[in-house]
Amino acid sequence: MWHHPASFFTGWLLICGLLLQGCASYSHSFYPIEQKLSRQDPAGALLELEKQGYASGDQLLYLFNKAMLQRMQADFAGSNQTLEKAKRIIQRYAATSITEESAAFMVNDATRTYIGTPLEQVMLHVYAALNYLELGDHDAARVEILQVDVRLRQLMSDAPNSALSVDPFARYLAGMIFEDLGEYSDAMIAYRKAYQAYQLHNSKLYALAIPPALKRDLLRMARRVGLWDEYRKLRQRFAIAEEEITAAPAGEGEIVLILHNGLAPLKREHDVAVVDPGSGRLIRVSLPYYQDRSNRVKGARLIAGKASQTTETVEHIDAIDHKTLEAYMPAITARAIARAVVKYNMAREAGKQDQLAGVLVNIAGFVVERADTRSWLTLPAKIQMARLRLKAGRYNLSLELLDASGRPVRSVKLGEIDLPKGKRRYISYHYIPPYAQRY
Amino acid sequence: MMQLTQTLPGKALFAFLLLLLGGCGTQVTRVDVEETHDLSGAWNDTDSRLVSREMIRDMLGRNWLSDYINKHQRQPAVIVGTIRNLSHEHINVETFINDIEREVINSGRVIFVASRNQRGEVRSERKDQDTHAREDTRKPMGQELGADFILKGSINTIIDVEGKTQLRYYQVDLNLISLTDNRIVWIGSKKIKKLVKNSKLRL
Repeated sequence: MWHHPASFFTGWLLICGLLLQGCASYSHSFYPIEQKLSRQDPAGALLELEKQGYASGDQLLYLFNKAMLQRMQADFAGSNQTLEKAKRIIQRYAATSITEESAAFMVNDATRTYIGTPLEQVMLHVYAALNYLELGDHDAARVEILQVDVRLRQLMSDAPNSALSVDPFARYLAGMIFEDLGEYSDAMIAYRKAYQAYQLHNSKLYALAIPPALKRDLLRMARRVGLWDEYRKLRQRFAIAEEEITAAPAGEGEIVLILHNGLAPLKREHDVAVVDPGSGRLIRVSLPYYQDRSNRVKGARLIAGKASQTTETVEHIDAIDHKTLEAYMPAITARAIARAVVKYNMAREAGKQDQLAGVLVNIAGFVVERADTRSWLTLPAKIQMARLRLKAGRYNLSLELLDASGRPVRSVKLGEIDLPKGKRRYISYHYIPPYAQRY
Repeated sequence: MMQLTQTLPGKALFAFLLLLLGGCGTQVTRVDVEETHDLSGAWNDTDSRLVSREMIRDMLGRNWLSDYINKHQRQPAVIVGTIRNLSHEHINVETFINDIEREVINSGRVIFVASRNQRGEVRSERKDQDTHAREDTRKPMGQELGADFILKGSINTIIDVEGKTQLRYYQVDLNLISLTDNRIVWIGSKKIKKLVKNSKLRL
């Protein structure tokens, strides 16, 4: 039996499939971690993540999730160390692997080493920058911004006509960091790119509202740098009054609250299994699709004493995820169909030698056909930002989470913060809905 | 088994298994500190050593040093200020500063005083001696040597990317500023260019 070519094929398929662990759906394995998160227990979620381990091709996802869970526990330095490891993985495995592509043709797409979607690669740097900002290391945040600029340039040169090659929030954050460091021309360029990216996403991908804060930032920077023509044009277009565009007066600082709202959509698989009427062989095609998670909280209000400000959405991670998958679907579908043909032919070849062998090869090919449901699941569904300009001093901050009609759902204490003169302080809050998605 | 390896898929599997097993075990090789090994194209210890050596050699060979010695009849005291990392990489500026300090002190032409980060601990040790050390071994406060010059600088990069090829340009700028009258007595600039080619394909 062992010398039989068909059992050899079957064995190979099964071993490849199991060793490379593409046989289980990745997104299913995330459920225990999400359960812990929904109970507001990121430490427990991290233990769960460590306990689970990971397939060698999924190491990047393990690092992504670990970095986010460390961040949720305010271990910003640890989170950045993990993100540096993630960067090295992306660099090492960015090249197309010959053996992996061949294996993917015989088994399934999830056997390939995961290197992240363009959005996830950009978010890696955005979260590293946010970690550094919360540690107060502006120069290191600046380094991350420069790195994300290189990444975005690579994306643009790979796909110049795609609206997915630009990222609005990465540019917006870059502008804020440059402005903090007094590099006003660089800030102006970054704000301008952010504005263009929001416009491009709005016209080509999904409906969004350009954050009003960005409009004010653009005008303020244009005035600061002396671009009067642009200033006048933009002021007309935005219809913003002159008084709203002042720079912070001396003695005031600014609190920037970044709300990481909900969790990114997860990929499920859509199976089509048919029996070929002529030969009686099973054919299976498995394709991924995104499922959004439900979340009552649509925004928040930052409260510091008597002052308050509601959040604006600055990055629609869920919408970008949907559109990215949409862009990949033709290639994924073509590969799935080609794979089905390859497996059908293998089963037929084996069947020529021995009918039982043919059946075994057919079943093996059927079983290992799974969609690639891997994605960075601890990313938020939306990133939202609220800014409050206040006199320098000590404040007790709280956050009111709001539903779609603006009614408060929950109130969260963010603790005390020392606001220095003329500086920005960045704080983050990760909101996970209190119910895990059943799947 | 032999007839299996005659077939093409058999050969492919055999090769595949060999490759999988070939990567077993960790290999450690000790290399000499002076050897250059460029792994990812990022700033490494070779760059730090090269730049600090050449820049300090340049700094100590200029007129400001002899002018100062002629004027004041003693060597100048230099303190290292902030060297900002304005580059694309998280460069460890501390090791770079250490390389610079070592080059300066080993030249023997210039007196070096502890930087802001270092003297915090030195001062608290001195204060501790005030209370706990024996009278004749106490080092009194207020006897520090004031620096005459401060060395400040920045590391900048320009990165050009095309597909899998990157051209990395590093520029390290150092300024030597007089603490008496703010004159910049020396400006040094060292440029490094690296061409990094990442492969499009891998096994």
